[in-house]
Amino acid sequence: MVLTLILGLFDQFFSPYFLGVPLLAIAIAAPWVLFPKPSNRVINGRSLVAQNSFVLNFAKQILLPLNVGAHKWALLLTVLMVNLITLNLLGLLPYTFTPTTQLPLNMGFAIPLWLATVVIGLRNQPTIALGHLLPEGTPAPLIPVLIIIETISLFVRPFALGVRLTANLAAGHLLIQLLSSATLFLIDQMWPVAILTGLVMALLTLLELAVAAIQAYVFVLLLSLYLQENT
Amino acid sequence: MGGHDAGTQHQFTGFAKYFNAFTITGRRNCVLATYASIVAIGLFFKLKPKKQAAIKE
Repeated sequence: MVLTLILGLFDQFFSPYFLGVPLLAIAIAAPWVLFPKPSNRVINGRSLVAQNSFVLNFAKQILLPLNVGAHKWALLLTVLMVNLITLNLLGLLPYTFTPTTQLPLNMGFAIPLWLATVVIGLRNQPTIALGHLLPEGTPAPLIPVLIIIETISLFVRPFALGVRLTANLAAGHLLIQLLSSATLFLIDQMWPVAILTGLVMALLTLLELAVAAIQAYVFVLLLSLYLQENT
Repeated sequence: MGGHDAGTQHQFTGFAKYFNAFTITGRRNCVLATYASIVAIGLFFKLKPKKQAAIKE
């Protein structure tokens, strides 16, 4: 019985076979087919048109408040957005690992990009970059305090970026796991309550779909705001 | 891009000309002065000679 328990713990990580077909192959290939290859046709297929429309509209939207000097970040910001939204949304599929629940990955995105915006600001326009550390119109007695507060806030930015994404996604996934475990357990015990928890889980999954997209957008938007300050 | 004060409508004189919270150069100077003060205070406490306690017989 103990051996069965030990073996049973890892069964969930074995990719299933269905009618003799290893579903692992399909699982690995699936993200590849989500992104159609760009073509030189005048009229493209629906999926390519949808992808292009999303990318172009997003790029236009994110670059709207930015100076011309910051437009060289267009590709980076768009790729970052597509990457994050893909990782987040695919992670909501069952038995799919979500890389953005891991803090090192998100800090790997946040710290270098934030640092790049700070270095660009200090290098190209040091007066304006330093001047941003004191809000305009501050009363004289508050000036040193506010400068210290703004400096701390500047250095907390990359951690806030990374931890926001990690915490939102990890918490969502944890809630889904807890609710699904509770639903499965309650089906035998109290099935009306199981229906309720199942319903809550369905609603939570819808919320997590929104959170996945929104958090990716917030990450890229905040980065573009930091860039806007420094260009 | 908005948010950067050209400072043309502020006519400061004396100390306020260089250290104020309205012009961009004034704000920059305040920031640099604050950082310099913090470094100076830190250096002062670090380099201050430590008093040795008198030996009582």
